[in-house]
Amino acid sequence: MLGRRGALRFLALPPYAWLGLFFVLPLLLIIVISFRPETGPIDFDDPWAASLVQYQRIWETPVYLRLLGISILMALGVAAAATVLAYPIAYFLAFRARERAVFYLVLLLIPFAASYLLKIMAWRLMLGQEGAINSFLQFSGLTSGPLDLLLYSRAAVMIALVYVWVPFAALPIYAAMQRIDRGHQEAAADLGAGPWSRFWRITIPLSLPGALAAFFMVFIPTVGEYVTPSLVGGTEGFMYGNLIQDFFTSAANWAQGSALSALMLVVTLLLVAVALRVVDVRRLAA
Amino acid sequence: MLARTHRLRAAPALFATIALILASCQGAEPRELLVLEWAGYEAEDFWTDFKTAQPDVAVNFEFGTTDADILGLMQAGSQADIFHFYTGWQQFYVDAGLVREIDTTKLTNWDKVPAAMQALGQIDGKQYYLPWDWGFTSILYNTAHVPEVTSWDALFNEDYTGHIAMWDDGPAAVTVSSYIHNYDETAITDEQLASIEQEWKDQKPLNIHYWDSEYENLCPEVMSEDIWVAYAWQGCYASALYGPVDAEGNYHPEDAPPVAYANPVEGRNSWVGLYGISADTDSYELALQFLDLKLAELSCGNAVYLFYYGCANADVMAAVEDPVLIEAFGINDPSILESTNFTPPVTEAQRDAWTAMWTRVKAD
Repeated sequence: MLGRRGALRFLALPPYAWLGLFFVLPLLLIIVISFRPETGPIDFDDPWAASLVQYQRIWETPVYLRLLGISILMALGVAAAATVLAYPIAYFLAFRARERAVFYLVLLLIPFAASYLLKIMAWRLMLGQEGAINSFLQFSGLTSGPLDLLLYSRAAVMIALVYVWVPFAALPIYAAMQRIDRGHQEAAADLGAGPWSRFWRITIPLSLPGALAAFFMVFIPTVGEYVTPSLVGGTEGFMYGNLIQDFFTSAANWAQGSALSALMLVVTLLLVAVALRVVDVRRLAA
Repeated sequence: MLARTHRLRAAPALFATIALILASCQGAEPRELLVLEWAGYEAEDFWTDFKTAQPDVAVNFEFGTTDADILGLMQAGSQADIFHFYTGWQQFYVDAGLVREIDTTKLTNWDKVPAAMQALGQIDGKQYYLPWDWGFTSILYNTAHVPEVTSWDALFNEDYTGHIAMWDDGPAAVTVSSYIHNYDETAITDEQLASIEQEWKDQKPLNIHYWDSEYENLCPEVMSEDIWVAYAWQGCYASALYGPVDAEGNYHPEDAPPVAYANPVEGRNSWVGLYGISADTDSYELALQFLDLKLAELSCGNAVYLFYYGCANADVMAAVEDPVLIEAFGINDPSILESTNFTPPVTEAQRDAWTAMWTRVKAD
């Protein structure tokens, strides 16, 4: 019979198998394909020899690397904005909602049920020349005509992405705040610390791990974002993810698309690793 | 006789054996088809005659987003019995051994397809593809904001900055430039391609956006008059002429935007959609019947009257009486076809170079 540990390992097998089959294996496949020399559709029956030609082509096309840099900067901006906007939501849920916390948590989670595509399409209506925002700006006299930059721009992409990510970002921050021992707050209050001081010196440091988790949870997928830029980005909101998509679908150049994907993966992981080394969360929390 | 417990244990093995024997039986074709299609074409309207003739056959669809995507999917081993793509890509499937010759003697509607269209589906004298949908590409423009367009270079006119929409397609960009500069589209040199790339990089800020779905992000903005000048197919032109549709499905041409479809001095472009039968299909006869009945009057007619695309059945096109469609297809103006440029085949090198060029334009 399986012991307790054996039983746990056995129960963990299906999710590991799922992860292995649908995450690790495709990732390995992408990396392997990136070393194929073809510039067009791949016939997996064809013999081939590993080559760095796809990476060489990326290196010889500076505009691709520049786009990766721009996408990373956009992702940093979106992650920072989403984290900052999500923080007060998480704070309210953890410290103010009390018995209604579950109700407000459900409200926060409702957007998850809506189609991602529908939410982005709604932003096209909001940001369009005759959309809600432009109509309000003209009605209030703040502008004399519609602002073109609201839709089909880099700004539109970032606005839509921040909107989509805020509910996601609030969850890890909320989880971190829930783990804060209320005794710290009470002790600080007993020692004369005011609300603002308690917030800066207890709540923020102890919730930082959650905030950092939220930041990276938003940053990492945003680097490779391509749906939102294609819907609201116009010609200026093109991101690195769109480049990868183009090579797979418009150019049928899976090898080049795979190389671009592998490069993005390595760069993103490197950035996260460096950031985690630089930002000592435990020191900040202390 | 086996004891009862032995019979119970033997039963699953017996059933499995019978199932294996049945599964290995060769004979009748599977009663299902898988079609690699473009989004929208899976609508039953476009294969309704086959549905009527073979109601028990399950027709399933998987989707590609571009000609390159469809080729890539077929090359990677798609199980589709039938695939749909557009002119210029015919040679690739033949070279890769992905397509099976069509036995036109079994097609009851083949004689309704004009010889010129039949020829588009032939490679080295063999009929590999069946033409189905077709149309024009030209400049669709809003006459309230744009005077008469006489050239493809309207897409580069800075007077319309922020109101131009080009199709998100590299080969199309090369085609437009070759028309404007009178390049040989089948023999674009590296210098010409570099010039084309810079030209489209300069043009990029003039666009409101690149469009990739005619009825999703081109036609609505033509109707709302956000787009004044667009690289467009005649389907959007017809949509605009019909005007907005209300909740009851009634058209309101009185509210239609003022649009026109250019006859550029360089000539319009024309394209034809082709269907091929996969070389690996186990349902060849069914696939043949599916394609044959797509050419039938009702299925073909639905492409014309519901999608505003031309269909290869000449009898269906000759029967068009709707003035909007006559205008959209230029049926009463033979000079349009005479000056139209038909999309030539693309080579592998051209496909790679032109699509890579376009990614650099978009990434710039």
